[in-house]
Amino acid sequence: MPVTSNASVQAKPASPSRVQGAVTGAGLVVLALLPLAAGASPYMLGLLISALILAGLALSWALLGNLGGMVSFGHAAFFGVGAYGSALLAGKLGVPVLLAIPLGGLIATVFSLAMLPALRLSGPYFALAILAYAQIFRILATELDWLTGGAAGLQRYPGLPTVLGFNLADRAGSYVLVLAFVAVFAFVYMALRRSHVGTALRAIADSEDATRVVGVNATVLKTWMLLLSAFIAGVFGALNAHIIGFLEPDYAFSGIWSVMPIIAAVFGGYRSVLGPVFGAVVIYLFDQVIAKSLIPVGHQILLGIVLAIMVLLAPNGLSGLVARFLPRLTGRSLSNAEKGHA
Amino acid sequence: MLELDAVTVRFGGLTALSGISFRIAKGEILGLVGPNGAGKTTLFNSISGLVKARGRISFNGREVTSLPLHKRARAGIGRTFQIPQPMHHLTVRENLAVAQVFGAGRHDATRIDEILAVMELSHKADADAATALALQELKRLEIAKALATEPKLLLLDEVLAGLESNAKRSFMLKLKELHALFGLTIVIVEHDIETISGLCTRAVVLNFGQLIADGTPAEVFNNPAVVESYTGTAHA
Repeated sequence: MPVTSNASVQAKPASPSRVQGAVTGAGLVVLALLPLAAGASPYMLGLLISALILAGLALSWALLGNLGGMVSFGHAAFFGVGAYGSALLAGKLGVPVLLAIPLGGLIATVFSLAMLPALRLSGPYFALAILAYAQIFRILATELDWLTGGAAGLQRYPGLPTVLGFNLADRAGSYVLVLAFVAVFAFVYMALRRSHVGTALRAIADSEDATRVVGVNATVLKTWMLLLSAFIAGVFGALNAHIIGFLEPDYAFSGIWSVMPIIAAVFGGYRSVLGPVFGAVVIYLFDQVIAKSLIPVGHQILLGIVLAIMVLLAPNGLSGLVARFLPRLTGRSLSNAEKGHA
Repeated sequence: MLELDAVTVRFGGLTALSGISFRIAKGEILGLVGPNGAGKTTLFNSISGLVKARGRISFNGREVTSLPLHKRARAGIGRTFQIPQPMHHLTVRENLAVAQVFGAGRHDATRIDEILAVMELSHKADADAATALALQELKRLEIAKALATEPKLLLLDEVLAGLESNAKRSFMLKLKELHALFGLTIVIVEHDIETISGLCTRAVVLNFGQLIADGTPAEVFNNPAVVESYTGTAHA
């Protein structure tokens, strides 16, 4: 095999995984410092917390789409089940809130098992099946009055606790906690993408037969992605429930929780890890701060226009734009492995 | 090695394969021949598990008729597609790594380097599979992927199609090299009589989903039924 003679004297380029890790880390530092840049007012912190909840949900949607090859129109189901699960565990069984939150995610995961027959479907059929699934859970949460409080919902369940003198219930504490969950899941997602399982999953999205014929059990891998995506969505539903302090079916299973993560992920670039996260922050703040001040009623129309422009001009979203323009600024080109993957 | 017993495949009212029975011994290079629509690719699909077949398919003494595709790959049945199907968004090396990890159940970077070298793809190892490869390289990648699963039986679906004569000759030599190097049993779908005669020790001919001849290449290509099937004369 030929070996380049000058290989030993050239500086070894950073590996794609290190670059991706560094970019992800830097991105999360930016998010950590965002409250300071935004003036750290309670109102802005409240918006940023909601933006990060959406970011976590968008991350879970993108994981399912990017690694599982499945387009979900029903993430509200996992979000709502996680929210109700955690609120009921903490409120009725006295489970500590910080334990109830991951258990809420776990309950969403268990309930997502009912979606497994839909894995045989593809494209719009899977999307429609999961949309119907979300509606079923909204109706169940309304009708199971004895458990969920029916249409009136739940109000009496604990909020986030104080840990080692750090009050997670105040806005700064909630922001740090939600950001920590976003960071953990972003690194889990990144590690998964870099693994052979992640590589195989990306390949399944291209051609399932091409992967199955080399021994990949596509159904099992896609199932794991559905379960993981449901878990992440459930955890953020649970976090949101304990931050806002009330739950009702029309809110917890609202179509907003199905549509907004799609908009955020596509706007940010759903093929990357941080794209959905930053997409959620930018889109949510744009909607709440700028669009609402311009058009108080029906401000979502501006969201639609911005998304349409982004899809037409930069189909790979914000992360695609960064991948395109960053090399010009830094004077180096990104490898194929780095492009849009951070 | 491989035993087919009354293998039948129907798509609705159409019988694509009808009662195909033959055996392939370990180490053979068998040519699968027949006009377009004869059922060659369907036979590959039924052996590899891509389509469900009636009858019995045994591989290394184990019945695999009802095994799913990925389990047959792990059992040692490797295949290529007539139209190369690389994992598009992966590099050539990643294509092989996925095949090795899931097909052979282990990751051995040295082995992947060896396969890349044998298939003359080392210089393209870190190139995106679909965008950076020419047709011949894509065909090499198809075989390399299959080799990474460490198959015992390799099903090659028209890997020589579309290649000009020099490339075809060099590809034939490559297949002989692989056969010797990896101790493979090979079944190759090919239209070209010269290629089959130069490469294979035995040929099986299909026509309209039925086996019409089985023997040495010289025997089958002198068989009147085979000549009829290729000249388009009504089959008796």
